[in-house]
Amino acid sequence: MKLLGMAVMFVAVASFANASVVPEIDPGSAGSALALLSGALLVIRASRKK
Amino acid sequence: MGDTEQPPGVSTLNEPLVTGSLPDSSNNHSFTRIPVFSLSLPNRLILFALLFAAEWSPITRWVHKGYGGGALLQVAIAFSSLLLALGYFRSKDAFQRISNDIRKTPIRWGLLALHLVALAAFLGLSSFSSGNDLFGYAIAGLWYATGAAAIVLAGWALVPPALALDFIRTTGYAWVYALGAAILAWRAVVSTALWNGAVWNPAIDLSWKPATDLTFNLVKAMLHLCLSQVVADRATMTIGSPKFSVIILPWCAGFEGTALMLVFSVAWLAYFRREFRFPHALLLVPAGMVVIWLSNALRITALILIGVAGAPQVAEGGFHSQAGWIAFNCVALSFAILTRHMPWFASNRLGSYRTEVADTTAIHNPTAAYLTPFLAILATAMISRAASGSFEWLYPLRFVAAAAVLWFFRSKYLELDWRFGGFSVMAGCAVFGLWLGLDFLAGAHSSSALAAGLATLPSPARITWLVFRTIAAVVTVPIAEELAFRGFLIRRLTSADFESLSPRHFTYIAVLVSSVGFGLLHGDRWLAGTLAGLIYAVVFLRRGRIGDAVVAHATTNALLAARVLLGGKWDLW
Repeated sequence: MKLLGMAVMFVAVASFANASVVPEIDPGSAGSALALLSGALLVIRASRKK
Repeated sequence: MGDTEQPPGVSTLNEPLVTGSLPDSSNNHSFTRIPVFSLSLPNRLILFALLFAAEWSPITRWVHKGYGGGALLQVAIAFSSLLLALGYFRSKDAFQRISNDIRKTPIRWGLLALHLVALAAFLGLSSFSSGNDLFGYAIAGLWYATGAAAIVLAGWALVPPALALDFIRTTGYAWVYALGAAILAWRAVVSTALWNGAVWNPAIDLSWKPATDLTFNLVKAMLHLCLSQVVADRATMTIGSPKFSVIILPWCAGFEGTALMLVFSVAWLAYFRREFRFPHALLLVPAGMVVIWLSNALRITALILIGVAGAPQVAEGGFHSQAGWIAFNCVALSFAILTRHMPWFASNRLGSYRTEVADTTAIHNPTAAYLTPFLAILATAMISRAASGSFEWLYPLRFVAAAAVLWFFRSKYLELDWRFGGFSVMAGCAVFGLWLGLDFLAGAHSSSALAAGLATLPSPARITWLVFRTIAAVVTVPIAEELAFRGFLIRRLTSADFESLSPRHFTYIAVLVSSVGFGLLHGDRWLAGTLAGLIYAVVFLRRGRIGDAVVAHATTNALLAARVLLGGKWDLW
């Protein structure tokens, strides 16, 4: 649940990137990129649970 | 999978929907009532910060007067943050006790409603012009009062005053240090041109020029390793070869990735603080920022090399938009994995835990089976987009990756219930109608890139691409997304031990969060995606069968594919 909370918070913080049009971090790809990161972190953390 | 005992705060579709509460505590069972949002102190503080972030946009739009309120707000934010940090390190046990007490306290929705009323009054008073007369002073006083009331009411709704005072009492004189440091920080911000906001934009702020120059020089050095002739004009920040060159603008010089890495690393260390050794672990923050900065220089170098190699459309198109995220994801994931394997940074607790894990013969990871197919699609999508110009010709990779992962976990999926009923097909048709209806209301989407890209392919390649695109839409995408959003996320948000939870048990917040997450992944069709997610969730929870949700989703996608292929509505893809 910690990781889910962090993912939600991180998505919220990173969503501020949507406010500016800048090429380094493309706001149009933020959703899928952050979903990939959050999901991968969930899998990594879960493998250590048991 | 059989039904198991229902955990607190969980509902099923066949019983009275009392989300977040167990049956009435008056019936002498040993049940205790659990609030709908049973959140600890850190999570409530995050909620408070999110509320503040959401309201910031209307506040900055309508409030154009100062009265010194901005400075007070800066001091208040710095003071609160420092007090929490100092209080936590001074008295961890008391912090934990208060956090547990807060978990038993429900959020006060009435006070949150009053907060909105006070905020509306604050915004309304901002439109009044005020002068140096009695009326002006009264307006200013009311403006301050409503603004302060809005903050206090929001705080009170989430953290009861008695517990807040209890926390401050346990911190001793920490509030004095926090207040002093907050005022000093505020004065430093006001008096330092670098930080005072007016010059934050790196495009016009020459104090950032050395950082941009550093990126320029790094790229130049890396290009010299690969190219015989390098064009590098520092005055215009143009760099590349005579054949292909780019301009390094201040906002693609590494600041964004570094800021994201700063947020990620600090949040990671804060959330998993018990697993790290402090202050050693604090070194990881600047280390992560340096690595992401270097990776941005590498990104620009690779972009130039792709352009030089004869694919300028790929360099300026897909690679330009995807490489930043690919680099950030790689660095962040490496940070999360590697830091736990470095004894100098990890706490003893983690070391003993790791030994226990190593002792087990097999690592059990049910999450992987549910999430990996979806993650494989996302990862290959990023890679195939990065290797494309305006048309994603490598789309079949998504199908191949998802199919391979589904095959790898096939034994796990045999345990799931893949049966489905006619209701699923009807729900899928309903989502199709909803999707087209909302699309019609929203207006036309651009479809030129896909149609134009397909037109450039020879017939066999075009047919192959369309076959893979259709099979992916109807088979691998529904399976992967339903496993992730309905099979995993709803249950994981309902209970940490999601595997022992019946697929029919849920909380409303879990359904809502998974549906909104599903919707957000559909970009500007987020509303249709969210509603589709809700319908698939109902289909899944009705009988607790993943097969129902997959068939509903596949039906929608099959109808959309037919609309695309037979009706030429390429924008639906």
